[in-house]
Amino acid sequence: MRNYIIRRILFIIPILIGITFISFLLINLNTSDPAEVALRVNEITPTDEAVAAMREELGLDKPFFERYIIWLGNSLRFDFGNSYINNKSVSDEMLSALPATLYLAAIALMMILGISIVAGILCAIFEDSIGDKTIRGIIFVGTAMPNFWVGLLLMWLFAVKLDMFPTSGMSGFSSVILPAATLSLSYISIYTRLIRNNMVQNKNENYVLYTRVRGLKNWTVTKHIFRNSIQSSITALGMSIPKLIAGTVIVENIFAWPGIGRLCVSAIFNRDYPIIQAYIVMMALLFVVCNLIVDIISASLDPRIRRTT
Amino acid sequence: MLFKNKISKLLVMGILLISLLVGCSSGGKGETSSSDINGNGNNGPKEINTDELIYVNFRDIRDLNPHIYGGELFAQNLLFEGLVMITDEGIQPWLAKDWDISDDGRTYTFHIRQGVTFSDGHKFDAHAVEANMQAVYDNYDRHGWLESIRLLDSFSAIDEYTFEMKLKEPYYPLLTELAVTRPFRFISPNCFINGTTKDGVDGLIGTGKYVLTENHIDQYAIFDVNPTYWGEKPEISRIIAKVIPDNQIRALALEKGEIDIIFGTNMIDAETYLEFSQKEGFAASLSNPLATRMLIMNSTDEILSDVNVRQAINAAINKEEISEGIFNGLETPANRLLARTVPYCDVDLEDYIYSLDKANSLLEEAGWKMNETTGIREKDGMPLDVQMHYNADSVTEKTISEYLQGEMMEIGLKLTITGEEEQSYRDRMKAGDFSITFNISWGTPYDPHSFLGGMRMPAVYGDYAAQQGLKEVKKLHDTILKAFISTDEIQRQAYYDYILTYLHEEAIYVPLTFERNRAIYNEKVKNVTFNPSQYEVPLDKMYIK
Repeated sequence: MRNYIIRRILFIIPILIGITFISFLLINLNTSDPAEVALRVNEITPTDEAVAAMREELGLDKPFFERYIIWLGNSLRFDFGNSYINNKSVSDEMLSALPATLYLAAIALMMILGISIVAGILCAIFEDSIGDKTIRGIIFVGTAMPNFWVGLLLMWLFAVKLDMFPTSGMSGFSSVILPAATLSLSYISIYTRLIRNNMVQNKNENYVLYTRVRGLKNWTVTKHIFRNSIQSSITALGMSIPKLIAGTVIVENIFAWPGIGRLCVSAIFNRDYPIIQAYIVMMALLFVVCNLIVDIISASLDPRIRRTT
Repeated sequence: MLFKNKISKLLVMGILLISLLVGCSSGGKGETSSSDINGNGNNGPKEINTDELIYVNFRDIRDLNPHIYGGELFAQNLLFEGLVMITDEGIQPWLAKDWDISDDGRTYTFHIRQGVTFSDGHKFDAHAVEANMQAVYDNYDRHGWLESIRLLDSFSAIDEYTFEMKLKEPYYPLLTELAVTRPFRFISPNCFINGTTKDGVDGLIGTGKYVLTENHIDQYAIFDVNPTYWGEKPEISRIIAKVIPDNQIRALALEKGEIDIIFGTNMIDAETYLEFSQKEGFAASLSNPLATRMLIMNSTDEILSDVNVRQAINAAINKEEISEGIFNGLETPANRLLARTVPYCDVDLEDYIYSLDKANSLLEEAGWKMNETTGIREKDGMPLDVQMHYNADSVTEKTISEYLQGEMMEIGLKLTITGEEEQSYRDRMKAGDFSITFNISWGTPYDPHSFLGGMRMPAVYGDYAAQQGLKEVKKLHDTILKAFISTDEIQRQAYYDYILTYLHEEAIYVPLTFERNRAIYNEKVKNVTFNPSQYEVPLDKMYIK
């Protein structure tokens, strides 16, 4: 197992180098000259001298690979440079926005777990009943609706008409409900279906028949079925966590949520390249690390995986 | 069978689902802060708080250092004051109680108001003015676009309450430039870093009516009335500026009562304005025309270098229809570059009148013959195909572009429209890499001098690049400077006559509508007015009843 973990961690290094290189390259392929952009966003007329001075200040006068190595070295120390807009440290900006995003993602995750487990179990127990069909119908519609539209509808109904929550902003606990619900809706649909289908399959297994023959209570039987049906959902959930965090971009902008998604969108509009680069690297890191954790957990549960990888 | 019958199954399912929903919603109830930032504003009957106004902005207040351009103007206006202010009656005293201008128009002597302190207790006097002026001057690169900085020769505190500025040349818009929100506003020298402000400031202390009490980045900022303010204190003691980036959400928040007012042309579209102007419990206000919304044509473009083509495009655009159809009459049609009410712009010009016949005959005259099969005119085998770029983030620009695309086909001109994300669009404009694009004058009080002055500088907006194909471009730019430094009113007006007439005849601009500032608000907010500058929000004049 230890060898497996070491192997997987070593495998991350080339992936991260690849990601950082591509993100650095993409930003550099942009048609706008970063030095000119840095001047323009601060309302400085980009004369030839001013551009030359800014190129030197930003280190853009150095060759591409040298710049990449310097940037990569700094990134490893979590130093992504300073924002073009306010000259503040990018790391500080990211760290101050991160808690809001993690909070939103955590509440969304709780909603996903709470609702999809309950709905999944109920649908499986009452397979093909009106209730099951209704929930599946809602799930189908929920998956099909785009985030921003769901957000607006929820806001109009629950915030404006029913006056249960604030429309936007991050204030008390009530303010996280609507954005978290918007964010979680499509995941709830996926997991409810996953749990339901696995449970329906398991219901026909011999061990279920055996437990019934033994005369165990219905609730106990359901618990056994649930435990045996949840494995695939746990694996999928591991990969949903980074997706949830990265997926906050739209929701944060609709609900005026002060997280990294909104920071990134503002940075894109302002051409604040250091923040965009840092965001790409952070998200990539998140995906890679979560993937690693899921793999390790899977491997620890199933020795076959350790041997085949 | 886990449950005996269908009814009991449905009952259990229903109870579980309802308990889930109730569990979620009850978590949010009962949380209200004193300032109602939570937004659960309509929970039960509530007395109107007359001390607090909740304003909304589309982004964070950002860096409010008054000597740079990175902060929100409405917030800078609450904190910082200038030597003079612009009112509907012209330039009025503010932190300077009066001033003298030498006969040659080069020396301005300001007599500073006594008894004023910054909100940190630091005395405001001529030395504080000098320190601030030096801090602005230290950052010459950033302010090079301002003629008042370029023409500044020297400045000094003559005594404790007298401050003098000397210019290299007389410059009549100096007082206007000193009055606008930035960069000539005063921050306590205690906030300077290394004796200046160009590398940032260590606090946001001004002499203004309000002080910044709290700022939660990207969420909200709280401004409380300045307890040591030297003049009459405003009625509203606390202003909360919330951040809501999305247009529709702002309107929903206003409807719900989470915010009290939405103010500004870019914050409210025409449809929302009309909706709230008719909605019970809300009110709407519209300012006088402020700036001209226009198209700009690049005179270096192969097709548009011909003045006949430019004039034909001008004649083929139905501004009445744009005003009514797109702006619901909120913006009035514009047939000239700057309204007659703008200083020095009451010049007799022959308005461009909508006439497809005239447009067609101008194109014929220019040698563009109609290809009846394609419906597009051609000249020497080249089709009359012009590129137009617009800001894809602006709903209005997109609609106008699509409208014009149809309209231009009427005269056999194929308009290919391309929407771009705002920053790319601006970069393209400044680089002059366009044929036709949108433009707007700077608005009062910057018009006409800042708008025309900007034409002389590359990379301010697209004007400089677009004018490079004009025969008299050098003369035009020289005359703009001459108008600024002229001390003789009649001579100055003559210079403006030439500038405006030349630009009108060359037709590189297509005036579309006169833009007006707007506000929608809860009817409890009273005295919602507009300052001469469209970038200012007169929150300090409002009250709640």
